[in-house]
Amino acid sequence: MKSIDKKWTLDRIDPQLAWEAWEPSEKEPWDRARVSLLYRRASFGANADEVAKGLSKSPTQILDELSGRETSARSVGFEDESREMAKAVLGTSEMKQLVAWWLLRMLHSPTPLVEKLTLFWHGHFATGAEKVQDVELMYQQNQLLRSNALGDFRALVQGIAKDAAMLIYLDSVSNRKAHANENFARELMELFCLGEGNYSEADVQQLAKSFTGWEIRRKQFRFNSYQHDDSLKTLLGVSGIESGERAVDTVVDHRSMAPFIVRKLFRFFVSEELYPADSFLEPLAKKFTETNYAIEPVVRMILESRLMLSGWSVGRKIRSPVELAIGWMRTMQCTSNVNFLADRLRTIGQSVLFPPNVKGWEGGRAWINSSTLIGRANLIYELVRNENTRFGGEPLDPFMASKSIRDPQQLMAWFSDLFIAEQLSAPELAKVSAAVSKESSDKWGLATLSHLAGLPRIHLS
Amino acid sequence: MDATHPTQSNIMTNSINRRAFNRSSILSASALAIGTAVPDGWVRSLAARLTDEKQKDRILIVIQLSGGNDGLNTIVPYADERYLKARPKLAIPKSDVITLDGSVGLHPSMRGIAKLIEDQKFATIHGVGYANPNRSHFESMDIWHSCQRKESRGSDGWLGRLFSHAMTGDRVDSMGLHLGGEPMPLALVGRGIQTPSIATVDQFRWKGKTDSMREADNGTSSEPGAAKQGNMESGGASEREADGAGLLDFVSASTTAAMQASDRLEKALATSDSAGDFPDSQLGEKLKVISRLILAGLNTKVYYVTLDGFDTHANQAVAHAGLLKQWSEALSAFHRRLDQAGQGDRALVMTFSEFGRRVSENASQGTDHGAAAPAFLSGPHFGKPFYGEQPSLSDLDDGDLKFKIDFRSLYATVIEEWLGQPADPVLGENYSKIDGIKLG
Repeated sequence: MKSIDKKWTLDRIDPQLAWEAWEPSEKEPWDRARVSLLYRRASFGANADEVAKGLSKSPTQILDELSGRETSARSVGFEDESREMAKAVLGTSEMKQLVAWWLLRMLHSPTPLVEKLTLFWHGHFATGAEKVQDVELMYQQNQLLRSNALGDFRALVQGIAKDAAMLIYLDSVSNRKAHANENFARELMELFCLGEGNYSEADVQQLAKSFTGWEIRRKQFRFNSYQHDDSLKTLLGVSGIESGERAVDTVVDHRSMAPFIVRKLFRFFVSEELYPADSFLEPLAKKFTETNYAIEPVVRMILESRLMLSGWSVGRKIRSPVELAIGWMRTMQCTSNVNFLADRLRTIGQSVLFPPNVKGWEGGRAWINSSTLIGRANLIYELVRNENTRFGGEPLDPFMASKSIRDPQQLMAWFSDLFIAEQLSAPELAKVSAAVSKESSDKWGLATLSHLAGLPRIHLS
Repeated sequence: MDATHPTQSNIMTNSINRRAFNRSSILSASALAIGTAVPDGWVRSLAARLTDEKQKDRILIVIQLSGGNDGLNTIVPYADERYLKARPKLAIPKSDVITLDGSVGLHPSMRGIAKLIEDQKFATIHGVGYANPNRSHFESMDIWHSCQRKESRGSDGWLGRLFSHAMTGDRVDSMGLHLGGEPMPLALVGRGIQTPSIATVDQFRWKGKTDSMREADNGTSSEPGAAKQGNMESGGASEREADGAGLLDFVSASTTAAMQASDRLEKALATSDSAGDFPDSQLGEKLKVISRLILAGLNTKVYYVTLDGFDTHANQAVAHAGLLKQWSEALSAFHRRLDQAGQGDRALVMTFSEFGRRVSENASQGTDHGAAAPAFLSGPHFGKPFYGEQPSLSDLDDGDLKFKIDFRSLYATVIEEWLGQPADPVLGENYSKIDGIKLG
């Protein structure tokens, strides 16, 4: 089988080869490292049990489970519980309760790929709760993103165009005929579908006119025909557009949409480091177009690809704050105070439901700066010492005992195997050992986990 | 740095003598660093220019008004009929404007700035922008930050390039510092330079501080940190970038920079007093911290902060008034604090936004994205309150004001007149300085 050399730059890799489904071989066996990689990218990381069991499943089977292709008793139970909790959250009208609810879903969902993509679409159709200021509307949008997360992109965009939280965020609650508000129209093309440079200022104005009369009344979308400019518009070279829905379709059907969206998926799942040529992403764009913009097939194509599972992608992504924190907790079978978690995520740059602006989180190297690096290490430091924190339902010491971990070296090896993209080097292990040895001996577990969080390599996925 | 070069040693001795701050341990570290950096002839000439005592101690503070500040309701052409006509709901009436001359005045929230103008410490530069304006927030901001359009853009920003050129190896502190929770501004990104970005100083202390993070070494290389920096400086698709190790190098170098900056700030703030009457606002808090760092003797040259919320598509009046008030109060408190400490002549503040807003208001009592807008300088003595020429309200480009002064001319003025550095290598080509602004 042809393989992809870890050191190759993208321009040396044949796109067809890159996006073919990976298959195990003698040289590239289905091993713990690959199971762990798949869980890091398609979920938020795997715990010891998941890695062990994953060895006897195929990548496809794992993705079936993570995406909830077949309904399981566990997922039905989880969704029932989640729905009950959501009711309680809406009753409080507190945004931080909704944030906590979502973080709990990310921590405990049996179908984490759905949550991961919900997070992707939240960053894509970024909407800030600080402006919407309505828990119910943020919940509605979150559910819209979740129910279409792996579904139909066109339906998702049509839904977003009438979503109350989005229209409040982008000032389109009352888009009047007399003077169209351009904000949503511009972002629909620039950030949501086409990318800057693929439309003209005239297109922005025409699209804004198409949305006149689109209003939000009593938290619901309403079409106000008195305020709708019903002239026929010409948008992106297509003439005779009479309705806002047609206008959305016209944008979705534009030739630059598929390359734009698959590039963003590539960045999210594979690497934000390199900027591949359009031709490299062409097989993905083709799949997206051929499936009539179905999201799941192209996402699975990325996750099951040779580029992903050959090992080329290992360590090429910086963990987002959510990926770091939720990933660490899922790996450690850890539960804790989610309000604490939400607060610390905010300080390291990813406050869910509060993206920095309509462009969402930039990702990649932008996650890393002096403050966030210190904040990331502090998050783990405080998490392991939080009085509410449990590992597999227990304090750290019995948890380690149940895994037969008896000293810092064993803990480092166990943790490194599950959580670190590439294994820790001898100097790194020595450094952590030395630091741990300076602390009181009965706290070696806490100390080891804290010091591991100070290593640069922990931030790579 | 060439150890035999007399200029740098003078700078170091002078600055050490001049300030009571104890830097003995850092001094020896700098001495070790001498000889490792290799300046080309051009950098050497820069170093020579830095001997000017005044310029050497000068500091630039950049305030970015994010979202597109409505220039017309900031510097208000209240006497212009066309303004009143285009803004039936949003125009600031003459009776409310803080009048400055017969034609323009300030938004009524800007009392603090009115006082700065009275003291000749504030200048407005009319009609700043660039040709073929882009009305996307992100693209336009990137143009301001990088000085380049998307097609020809590299990965660095104008201040990052300034740092790369003027970095002389003897610095105790980073050349630049970004204070704020948003991602690092592109303007500060430079090749081979790690500029700290700090959300708040309270969060900037590592609780599990030990050697594992301090001496962050990624363990893949036996070479010291300096070699990694060199690798990053070479840029492009180096071998380490290609095999993915570049990302680990980046995180490792950032970790080292974080620890250094954290230690430095902790020490600096411990020695500074927290006097100064700053408004209780986000920008007020940021400028207060910056004033403390400056007065504590940090030798950082450029501080960067943002004030967000200027994207006023709907119900602009109240929101905009609040933002201008916050800016005006924080800015005047900052200059007042440095003046009290006798260091007011060291700081120049430049305030800008990625674009102005459309001349005509929209139907949501807001304004959409526009083009040219005023930019502002404050701190030093200015001969007059206005520079350049107010763009015409009748000669519009698709409903927007036309720019009269390229923003790179503003940068050239700041770089050459204030910081005493040549601007061309930073800006990529020659831009004339703004007529009449003398900061030398």
